[in-house]
Amino acid sequence: MDYQTTGETIKTLLTLAWLLPLLGFAVEIFAGYWQRDRLSKAAAQMAVGCIGLGFLFSSWALMTYVQATGWNERYEHESAHHKELVAAIEEGKPLPGHGHHEEGHGDGHHDDAHHEHEEGHHEEKHHDGEHKAEESEKQTAITPKDAALAQFAIADPIAAEKPDSEHAEHAEHGHEEHGHDHEEDAEAKHEGPAVFSGVYYRLAKFGDLEINIEYYIDTLTLVMFTMVTFIATCIHIFAMGYMSDELTDEYVDHEAHYANGKHVHRPGRFYKFFAFLSLFCFSMLGLVIAGNIFQVFVFWELVGVCSYFLIGFYVERKSASTAANKAFIMNRVGDFGFLIGLMAIWTTFGTFKFAEPDLAHADKPAGLFQMIRTPGGELDVDEEAGVVYLQDGHGGRLKNDEGLPASMPYWLLVVAGLGVFGGCIGKSAQFPLQTWLPDAMEGPTPVSALVHSATMVAAGVYLAGRFYPMFTPEVLLVIAYVGAITLFVAATIAMVVTDLKQVLAYSTISQLGYMMLGLGIFGWAAGLFHLVTHAFFKSLLFLCSGSVIAACHHEQEMPKMGGLIRKLPITGSAMLVGVIAIAGLSVPGVSFGVIGYILLILGLLFALFDIYKRERTKLPLVATLVVVGLMLSYTGLANAKAAFSGFHSKDAIVATALTYFKMNPAHLLLFILPLITAGLTAFYMFRLWFYTFLGKPRDEHLYDHCHESPLVMTGPLVALSVLAAICAVGGEGGKLFVMLSESAPAMTHAVMAGVGSTVSLNLPGHIDVLTNHSSAGNLATIAAVTGTLIAFVIYGLGLINPADIKSSLKGVHSYLSHKWYFDELYDTMFMKPAHIVARFCAAIDKYVFDAFLHWLSRATLWISKWDRLFDEKFVDGLVNLLGAATFRVGGSFRKLQTGQLRQYVMFIAVAVVTLSVVLFVWFPH
Amino acid sequence: MNSEYLIPAIVALPALGAVAINIFNKAQEDAMRMFAIAVSAVTFFLTLQVWVNFDSTVAGMQMVTDWDWIANWNIRFKVGVDGISLPLVMLTSGISLLALMASKSITKAVKGYLILFLLLESGMLGVFVSLDFFLFYIFWEVMLLPMYFLIGIWGGPRREYAAIKFFLYTLVGSVLMLIAMLMFYFNSGRSFDLLYLARVGQGLEQGYGFDQTTQLIAFILLFIGFAIKLPAFPFHTWLPDAHVEAPTPISMILAGVLLKMGGYGIIRIAFPLCPYGAQTAAWALVAIGAWSIIYGAFAALAQTDFKRLVAYSSVSHMGYVLIGMGVWSISEATGAGVNLQYWQMGLNGAMFQMIAHGVSSAGMFFMVGVIYDRVHHRDLNKFGGLIGKMPLYGGLSIGLFFAGLGLPGLCGFIGEVFVVLSSWQYSKALAILAASGVILTAGYILWAIQRVYLGPEYKGPHPEAITPIEPREAAIASILLIFAIWFGIYPSTMLDVMDGSIAELVQSMDEGYQRVADIAAVSLNQ
Repeated sequence: MDYQTTGETIKTLLTLAWLLPLLGFAVEIFAGYWQRDRLSKAAAQMAVGCIGLGFLFSSWALMTYVQATGWNERYEHESAHHKELVAAIEEGKPLPGHGHHEEGHGDGHHDDAHHEHEEGHHEEKHHDGEHKAEESEKQTAITPKDAALAQFAIADPIAAEKPDSEHAEHAEHGHEEHGHDHEEDAEAKHEGPAVFSGVYYRLAKFGDLEINIEYYIDTLTLVMFTMVTFIATCIHIFAMGYMSDELTDEYVDHEAHYANGKHVHRPGRFYKFFAFLSLFCFSMLGLVIAGNIFQVFVFWELVGVCSYFLIGFYVERKSASTAANKAFIMNRVGDFGFLIGLMAIWTTFGTFKFAEPDLAHADKPAGLFQMIRTPGGELDVDEEAGVVYLQDGHGGRLKNDEGLPASMPYWLLVVAGLGVFGGCIGKSAQFPLQTWLPDAMEGPTPVSALVHSATMVAAGVYLAGRFYPMFTPEVLLVIAYVGAITLFVAATIAMVVTDLKQVLAYSTISQLGYMMLGLGIFGWAAGLFHLVTHAFFKSLLFLCSGSVIAACHHEQEMPKMGGLIRKLPITGSAMLVGVIAIAGLSVPGVSFGVIGYILLILGLLFALFDIYKRERTKLPLVATLVVVGLMLSYTGLANAKAAFSGFHSKDAIVATALTYFKMNPAHLLLFILPLITAGLTAFYMFRLWFYTFLGKPRDEHLYDHCHESPLVMTGPLVALSVLAAICAVGGEGGKLFVMLSESAPAMTHAVMAGVGSTVSLNLPGHIDVLTNHSSAGNLATIAAVTGTLIAFVIYGLGLINPADIKSSLKGVHSYLSHKWYFDELYDTMFMKPAHIVARFCAAIDKYVFDAFLHWLSRATLWISKWDRLFDEKFVDGLVNLLGAATFRVGGSFRKLQTGQLRQYVMFIAVAVVTLSVVLFVWFPH
Repeated sequence: MNSEYLIPAIVALPALGAVAINIFNKAQEDAMRMFAIAVSAVTFFLTLQVWVNFDSTVAGMQMVTDWDWIANWNIRFKVGVDGISLPLVMLTSGISLLALMASKSITKAVKGYLILFLLLESGMLGVFVSLDFFLFYIFWEVMLLPMYFLIGIWGGPRREYAAIKFFLYTLVGSVLMLIAMLMFYFNSGRSFDLLYLARVGQGLEQGYGFDQTTQLIAFILLFIGFAIKLPAFPFHTWLPDAHVEAPTPISMILAGVLLKMGGYGIIRIAFPLCPYGAQTAAWALVAIGAWSIIYGAFAALAQTDFKRLVAYSSVSHMGYVLIGMGVWSISEATGAGVNLQYWQMGLNGAMFQMIAHGVSSAGMFFMVGVIYDRVHHRDLNKFGGLIGKMPLYGGLSIGLFFAGLGLPGLCGFIGEVFVVLSSWQYSKALAILAASGVILTAGYILWAIQRVYLGPEYKGPHPEAITPIEPREAAIASILLIFAIWFGIYPSTMLDVMDGSIAELVQSMDEGYQRVADIAAVSLNQ
């Protein structure tokens, strides 16, 4: 397939996947309203069908992309390359497994290397530049040879002209190979990453300014589509079971009360729930497919309003509607920043389009990313004038109407970046707008799973990643610090809350902080990598918690649970997978294959035990162990490192953070906080799991009535736990990471030093990160293991009573359980003043403007009284023309009105006459 | 129909209908209602004819009718439509039809009500199609009186106070407008023709011209006159009272159509006739607009009366109209416009905001009216749980309120965001101030929704009177909501019609300003 056909196919598939849920919403909401009773599951089936088809179409699109662009070859190349690099780096280091003191030595070594690195920096940069030049020469040399390739090269100027530092080293090698390939089967296949973009329809056009609804599809879009639709499908199916108590004409809401204290009775709202789920998926997919930042804003808000409806699903509960309001309004605070960013961008660039892949057709204007960055991914900054020159997308500067190079103030670019990031802060619940997310747990649990782990809050990170080229180093630094603060603050709170869903809520905030940090410290792919892995294990965790909550009859307090693993084996095991994944545990130096063999042996042992006891109680366990063991040992997984998805992605971020810290020693916090938090994460997640599933049941009644969920709920758990475990296999050499990296902006491939006009930062390149990878990985693993052990000692074994710790650290505990007093602070700082100002404004209207009017009317009355006296006494018999007119008009209205009219009319008449006189005297024309 | 008579027919039809209603017996209330609705529907159909026949590629006036009227004073009956007035004509006829359908709740003196209502419709349509200033003024006053009586007789407990307040405020405005009109008349060789006056104002007519001082004074007079109608801070205090006291259909008309006359007046008369005055006062327009947004939103937040809240939301939303109109940047050195495309966008946004607000606020007032008709109170703290008792009503209301909130995908968003986007190039501070309105708007609307529609149960008086929404009411609300959605996802429907005329306005104002500014430079040199 050629570029056009591929693009059309992928676009059509994704468009279908995007619009199907909208269709679903329309059908569900109307059909649901007019259905006779509330017992039909049709709405859920419709919703599942729509999103399930959406998943099929998305995967189909992804496959089309892989096929048409020859992605597998690129993957093999990248993966082999990655392994070579890792091997090369490891050769120059002490062998792994030498213990902790070696670790320290290793660090020292790194520091030395770092100094050398810095000394030789200038040289290296120069060197790099040479490579860049070479490479771009090659590009131009190759391009005309091969028309089809040219189309692709043009199709993605950003990606195709990446002066990839990694490629730079292998420039000769790699490009010869590539060029060769192309010559061989140029007609049949296209190599290289591709971006597809186009317009659906025009929203508005003013002169040259145009706002469209358009699409922008690269591998990030494709991965997000597949991920979102898959997770949404699982959640939809799960919700069919979870929400089935709404399938009634008489639903009793135990948490909402009438004034007389009785529980609220209402018809079930099963269909409505699924309708809003569908609408939500439509909004989220629209956000991901959006081809310009304005469209992102549109769907951004729609995602917000859908979450408003879903969080406030139990409209009878005051707490739910308040949480929904809070979510929406706090998001709007972020959107206010977003809007400022939009204004700055719109006025400077006159376009919202991300990038135009088809720049070869010269009539098409460049997109934002092409205007702000050179094809090499650099900002064209004039530091003395403090301006950034805009690019024309062809390697030259953009000319304005007078033929001079167009530029924008550097600070304006910073404002635009910070503004848009403000939106991300709101949506992704980052510090300081994080407080809405825990409250949002008022929604039904599937909503929490969908809205608050994999999709809505992910939108903020997605946008930060998508909009990356527009961020200056200053903005990136802000992003990094916001992420670092958030991940730490949220993790500390997560350690003390006892509500099952609240722990997960805070862990979400914390993990989102990791992603933001990753993006901020120049680990573009690392941040988005974590976004995808987190989506899988967090939706898994939320669904598991939903399963627990449903099993415990809507009890969410962990202190009442305990020992549930015996009652909920599937949920418990699935949740353990999620917990291990989020905690980032791994078995160093061991592959999945080995684990598989261990499982097989365990299975065998259990089987023997069963046979010995002549019973079959362990049959399901044995079967599971055997199946999983076989899968691990005899598939492609066998050689992969024994770690779940979260390990790889968190590792990537921590490694980047360590590198960043080494290159910028001033920013120690950006490494220390995520490292400590890695330990805290393991602690609070295992605390949750131990608290819930191990130990003795703390509430016998609860325990006795607890039962495993039906297949419709456990099925999605199993599916998600498989993906949560293996979706990131291979780490940074794995498919997911390579796929994502393909969309990485060109800037992330350049090693940049001393960039930024107000801050001096050294930004880590891929090689630097790889160099630090194993030491960072070890540190993170140590932190995580420590956290896990502490949790195990306290909550698993019960050796230490948590209450003792609580009482000895009373101040800290109370501070943390009040969530750092953010709610109280905002209430005092914003909510109350807003209401005071509001009352003040209303009072001004009443007591100033209206009072003034009333005073005027009284004054007129008083004047007219004296006027009348004057008339009657002194101009007796003579009727003043003005007075008569006043009287007549007044008389004609008298039947209708009270006396006030006369005063008003009098006042008006006097005023008019005065004004006319004044005007005609002063301006006699 | 011959296009020469089409527009006069549209203006005359409701008035003729009003006369014709006299043949009915007082007791035939339903028949009269049906007749009035039929008249209004035919009027709407005729405006639809105009819409169909309208050529959006032509920027100038179309379907112009130009008849002699009072030849001695050179007053003509000149009407026509262009891209600026046509959407408002459509809005007027559409909202009038819906408001008449919503008038079933009026049971007092139905005959008089319908007569006045149809007269009002004629007046409103006349205002939007007049191309002669005197004619415009006449229609402006024609519309005023029926409105005064409609509020004063069919309104709530404080109707008389509200009616007088409305009347006097508007009267002050018309008086100022009258003065400005006479200034133009005597400075232009005695003409009321708006198109001709615009050419004079832009320095295109030899021998006549409005100098800078005249333009500035006239602009200020006109602006105050129209700002009262808009309403903009600080001339807005008539609005909450008028809205609260007016019966539901009249509130719909007030918010949906009457307020737009302020914006229309500015863009049709104040701007083209006084480009110099407009440019000089532009900053004030934007500042007043931004301030109105914030002030209106805060005031809305403090209200406990449902209708008052919606009324203040109108003050807030109409602020965007002023901003969009005012964001006209010029180069200080040459006087030539800079970023004119952005101003064009702002004007488009302002016009769109008027249409969008016409749809959403009429809808919001109607929804308030629906519940008021049942429980006869509007205290926000004494509602609750309505979505459970009246699910369809609740759903439609929330849709319309979100349209007012400016949710993307609904009409309110397009106008607001276009205006805000266009304003950054004019003044960053004011743009930020205007943009901050999104937070407050979300605040008061969501809070209102929470208090009225959500919650476990209804807390106010007459709980027994809460019955599901009637099909008639549901139809009205649905039509408004459908338009709100349609304009939200496909704004080109309106923008394509508007943009041609607005682009021409922008260009002529830019040139006109430079000419007038130059005249001054020349005269200074002499």
